[in-house]
Amino acid sequence: MSLALSRTLCRIFSRQTTAPSSFGIGGDFPVRQGPWFASVLTLKTSAPLRAEPKKKKKVDPRREQMVRERLRKKLKKLEKVPPELIPIEDFVTSAKCMDDTRVRSAPQLSFEESERRALLLKEWSRYKQTQHRAEMEAVRVAVETQREALEELRLESEELYQAALMPDPLLFPFNRQGPSYTPPKDQYEPPEGKYNNITKIYTQ
Amino acid sequence: MAAPCSRMIVGRPWWHFIIPTVSKTGPNQIWFRKLSNAVQTRSQSDRVASPWTLHGAVCLQRLPVISQERNPIEGQFAELLHRMELERSLLSEHEQRLLEDKERMARKQAEDYDSDEEAEYGDQETITAQDQEDAWEQKRKQFQLAQRFRDLDGDQQSVQRCLGDSLVLLAQQSLGPGKVWLLPQVPWQPGETLRQTAERALSSLPEADFKATFLGNAPCGVYQYKLPKSVRTESCQGSKVFFFKALLSGRPSTSQNGPFLWVRKSELPDYLKPAYLEKVNRFILDL
Repeated sequence: MSLALSRTLCRIFSRQTTAPSSFGIGGDFPVRQGPWFASVLTLKTSAPLRAEPKKKKKVDPRREQMVRERLRKKLKKLEKVPPELIPIEDFVTSAKCMDDTRVRSAPQLSFEESERRALLLKEWSRYKQTQHRAEMEAVRVAVETQREALEELRLESEELYQAALMPDPLLFPFNRQGPSYTPPKDQYEPPEGKYNNITKIYTQ
Repeated sequence: MAAPCSRMIVGRPWWHFIIPTVSKTGPNQIWFRKLSNAVQTRSQSDRVASPWTLHGAVCLQRLPVISQERNPIEGQFAELLHRMELERSLLSEHEQRLLEDKERMARKQAEDYDSDEEAEYGDQETITAQDQEDAWEQKRKQFQLAQRFRDLDGDQQSVQRCLGDSLVLLAQQSLGPGKVWLLPQVPWQPGETLRQTAERALSSLPEADFKATFLGNAPCGVYQYKLPKSVRTESCQGSKVFFFKALLSGRPSTSQNGPFLWVRKSELPDYLKPAYLEKVNRFILDL
């Protein structure tokens, strides 16, 4: 409607000023080279001006905010997904083990052999039981000896007793190389070498 | 073997073993607690009143370097386990290769052998798994391992003897009239803790430099003896010897000629007095 109004206004003004327009077509033609070029004396009612008014000034920021909030909510939903668990390599049976060609032919055990095995296992458990009992007894005796020693020390001198009860901060961490099958060689030079570590490192 | 044992000890904090002493001594506990403020003055008077002189001794052990020999039953069981594991296992890649090579050789030697049917392997055909095994065996033979058994087992002064057992250090010290074999001990001096006394005992051994790690501040055993009646006085009736455990650390220097021995637990009765031995045997573990 406003467009029609502006057009009639244009026509009114253009009729009155037909003469000065030198490149006009002539006649009672409203001098307009298209909707984009209005004459100088007309109102500056160009197409952008004549288009929908910018009533979005209040609604626009709100709409943009709504769009941003929606995006943020979508992101949060995506982030809520729990991170993928790192697979434990030891618990996963690799495909190589399920291969049928790898199965060893199980030998048939004779009756004597299976009897011998069962008896050996029983004897071993008996041997280990006596060994365990001996160890426990030895430890108990050692602890008892220490307790008696501390009692005697206490009877002697309270100060020394308290000093004996103090924990030793320099003792831990305590590292010691255990026994090997053959003793270490004197002046042994291990060969130089390089290795590539191919363990898979997982990051969450 | 050591697993259940270590679970017993390591699982509980070490002071669990010390605390029961406080609870068991009933009336003494209350008495000591009342006078805990005046500890120093009390200890001074206590020391003067006590007729026992204090000594600190060190029980230095060299733990085994190699594993012990197997008993007959242990040997049988180990062999049985090995065989059972082999029976229940799957074929390894190397064994699969061996089987494939064997089949290929069998096929080659068969009469109707057509080499065009065989897939092209190129260089892989020349090196078989068996050849590789032989090469590895050769390389292994070139490497010489150190001997498990040495002739030094008889020499009781050498620390390299009996690598499979734990050894204890014995020193010959003069107590009273004659020389006696015992764990190195030194009289206590006021102003130092008993552990420092034990460390001094170790370092004051003639011609010996042992690097040792002392296991904690608490003594592991005590031995008290009364002096013979002729020497006994009012203030000095006898002495108490407190033992501290230490482990030999690092490689000791080879040349050590001093009046000391390294002995196993089974050889201790040859050198120590019976009453002393009885007390010492309790805390020397031969596990």
